[in-house]
Amino acid sequence: MSLMSLGLVRGLIGQALGTLAGLFLVTLIRVLAGMDPIWAEEPAWVTGAVLGVIGFLIGVGALTDWAKWTVGIPTPLHHGPPVGKPAWVRYFSVDYNHKVIGIQYGVTGLLMLMIGGAFAVIFRTELSRTGLQFLSADTYNTLLSMHGWAALMAILLGIGGMANYLVPLMLGAEDMAFPRLNAFAYWLNVPSIVLLMTSLFFGWDGGWTVYPPLSVIGSVGYQFVFYSIFTLGLSSVLGSLNLIATILRMRPPGMTLFRMPIFCWAILATSMIQLTATQLIGLAFLMVSFERLLGMGFFDFEKGGTPILFQHLFWFYSHPAVYIFVLPGLGIISEILPVFARKPLFGYRWIALSSLAIALVGFLVWGHHMFTSGYAEYLRVPFMLATLLVAVPTGVKFFSWLGTIWGGRLTFPTPMLFVLGAISVFLIGGLSGPILATVASDLHLHDSYFVVGHFHATIFGGFTFPFFAAIYYWYPKITGRMYNEAMGKLHFWIMTPAFWMMSIGQMSVGVMGMRRRIADYDPALGVEFGHILVTIAGFAIAFSILIMIYNLLHSAEVGKVAGANPWRSRSPEWQIPSPVPEHSFAAPIAVVGEPYDYGLPNSTYIRMAGAAGDD
Amino acid sequence: MPKSATDKRHFIIAAALVAVTTVLMDILLKAVLPLPIQASLEALTIDALIGWHLSLIAFLFSLIVVFMLYSIVVFRKRPGDNSDGEHFEGNTTLEIIWTVVPLIAVIIFAFYGINTLAEVTRSEPNEVVVKVNGFQWGWSFEYDGVLSPEMVIPVDQRVRLEMNTRDVIHSFWIPEMRVKQDLVPGQETILRFTPIVTGEYTLACAELCGRSHWSMLAPVRVVSASEFDQWLAQRRAEQNPALVQAGPDTE
Ligand SMILES: [Cu+2]
Ligand SMILES: [Cu+2]
Repeated sequence: MSLMSLGLVRGLIGQALGTLAGLFLVTLIRVLAGMDPIWAEEPAWVTGAVLGVIGFLIGVGALTDWAKWTVGIPTPLHHGPPVGKPAWVRYFSVDYNHKVIGIQYGVTGLLMLMIGGAFAVIFRTELSRTGLQFLSADTYNTLLSMHGWAALMAILLGIGGMANYLVPLMLGAEDMAFPRLNAFAYWLNVPSIVLLMTSLFFGWDGGWTVYPPLSVIGSVGYQFVFYSIFTLGLSSVLGSLNLIATILRMRPPGMTLFRMPIFCWAILATSMIQLTATQLIGLAFLMVSFERLLGMGFFDFEKGGTPILFQHLFWFYSHPAVYIFVLPGLGIISEILPVFARKPLFGYRWIALSSLAIALVGFLVWGHHMFTSGYAEYLRVPFMLATLLVAVPTGVKFFSWLGTIWGGRLTFPTPMLFVLGAISVFLIGGLSGPILATVASDLHLHDSYFVVGHFHATIFGGFTFPFFAAIYYWYPKITGRMYNEAMGKLHFWIMTPAFWMMSIGQMSVGVMGMRRRIADYDPALGVEFGHILVTIAGFAIAFSILIMIYNLLHSAEVGKVAGANPWRSRSPEWQIPSPVPEHSFAAPIAVVGEPYDYGLPNSTYIRMAGAAGDD
Repeated sequence: MPKSATDKRHFIIAAALVAVTTVLMDILLKAVLPLPIQASLEALTIDALIGWHLSLIAFLFSLIVVFMLYSIVVFRKRPGDNSDGEHFEGNTTLEIIWTVVPLIAVIIFAFYGINTLAEVTRSEPNEVVVKVNGFQWGWSFEYDGVLSPEMVIPVDQRVRLEMNTRDVIHSFWIPEMRVKQDLVPGQETILRFTPIVTGEYTLACAELCGRSHWSMLAPVRVVSASEFDQWLAQRRAEQNPALVQAGPDTE
């Protein structure tokens, strides 16, 4: 088997060739037009970046079926591993099975999580003492900026993994509504990652927020970031479109919206945000790109623009994005709690509708990131009110979770531990929110380390902890084997206290006057001790994640055979064999009960056609 | 231990624990989140707001964590017990209560928040005006034509900063004064505060502005009104060539 039979390899070659073609094309045009100098890095690299992405998609084969359609060649959906090649090859090539795509998303997400985490560990070490020890200010700023986008990519990929793998299984569907679009949306992420990593070599210092004018005067590395995120955003839009169509159109008979597994509600809410808000950040980044490339002064006051416009466009996506990141994780919490409490989910409808409420109110609060930006002063008031309002549906979730575990028969395997850990960490993130929402207190805390502590707790509690819970929980379903419980618990008991320490340390130094995004700080602030604690905690978290990775790889070979339903769950995916067969469900399912009626004798959620008891 | 999960005694014990934990958390939070000294009137107003927030956080944190830990300890599965939990799917009254009560808290805090905002941004007649210029990577200050690399302001008088930058966005922050405001190219932004403690402080840029953002600092001195007048007169004399030439021995 040659390396070229891997779609990934062909794609990367395609991206390299596309990039070279772009560089060549621009240079050729400049030569022919007699422009001086012949080499202009800005247009050359931008054209290279765009053609590189197209080259990747052609190379990997994500466009092949559609191209064949245009000339009338039929392309039946292929199921199963590629003919005449080892089974693992399908994970590195275009494959239309949602379970393969889910794994592709999830593994790529874990990979980006480690890369993004590694950036953080490096600059975190620099911050443990005052004085610049081993990083220059430029390198520090680049690592910090890279950390932001690498981590956000990891999150979007991780969510893609959970949604793609789980939603069709939970609906008893054979696949997503649009399998080819699904594969296309996944494969957009890979050239996007390549572009982001390339930006590292040029260096860029704007943070993930890339505010102009800084991002206009900076290195050409910014252009790679813009097109990387644009490509990532396109993936988000297409992926969410697919999920909405799947959830609305492919439910089995009897599964009304209020009888769906709750995770599907979370994904529906998330997808609604992704489908409608992502365009704004794509637009904002294109505008900065064009300002750099063509001198269009959208954000340049000397050309009739204003820098603040960018912030509105950016946060119109990037605040709702926080809910894109956390709603699926909160859905995982709601999904897993009843199983290990052996009790129904408390207030199903309230939890489902609170996701929608958060998603909708989330569109009206972006201005809370701009209280000090210099926009019209009165705007601070409506944005403060709308932001505080988010506390209400978020509170409903917390209280309903308590109602779910109250009076249960709780057991604490690793997934349950991570769910409880998630609640504790998300609580820290949630409770530190309102203090940033009331404008006057934000005037002190804005752009301080308090904010860093706040959003890391929100995102770890709302995404990372639930993501890990999901990995451990569905691992037996995916691989057919159990993970190592002792190692899982060790992971939890290192990561959770370390994370608490990190959050409290970050918030503490922030209140004392530590600014965000600085390569070094004044010893007179008295924050060095706090930074040492945060650094130790950061290392502990990174180490614990390595334990998980080892556990996942190792247990796939030696773990004990899990069986179809080790957690005694009622959800459809646990009623079929582990690992899930190629065509998940042998027969169509019908919903005959409530999803979470644990403790109600003689009740089931679904019935499979042809199974015992069916007539 | 009461058998049923809805037995009143469970809730009485948990509520008592919440009360104790709230007090402890309130003390703990205020210890691990030490605010800098209160060097302005705004610091007094803002710290009071932060204090109320922290107390509310202490209560809500205790509420959730105590009920969670209580469940973990009391409702854990005992060895040999393979039964399921009690089957209840929800309680509409409870859901309405925990929607409406937080809503009321939100309205109270919003009202309080609006008032503090009005308080810290209010203008006064006879403000001391300082023109602040931020640039990559430093600060300069101008007092009616007199330039200075350090910011000197009189104590107990409202200061109005008129801030400008021409390169990128910066942000003005003296932690001891609490308030913060971005400087935006092409637009003058205003920040007001009233210093109440004389002393030396450090102004830092709070918005990432490129390579040396971390070291974009400037010294700030809050002095008595008479010292301020004296300092300003001296700076003016130093910068006015006519006066310098006229002076008998300026060297
Ligand atoms: Cu926000
Ligand atoms: Cu700065």
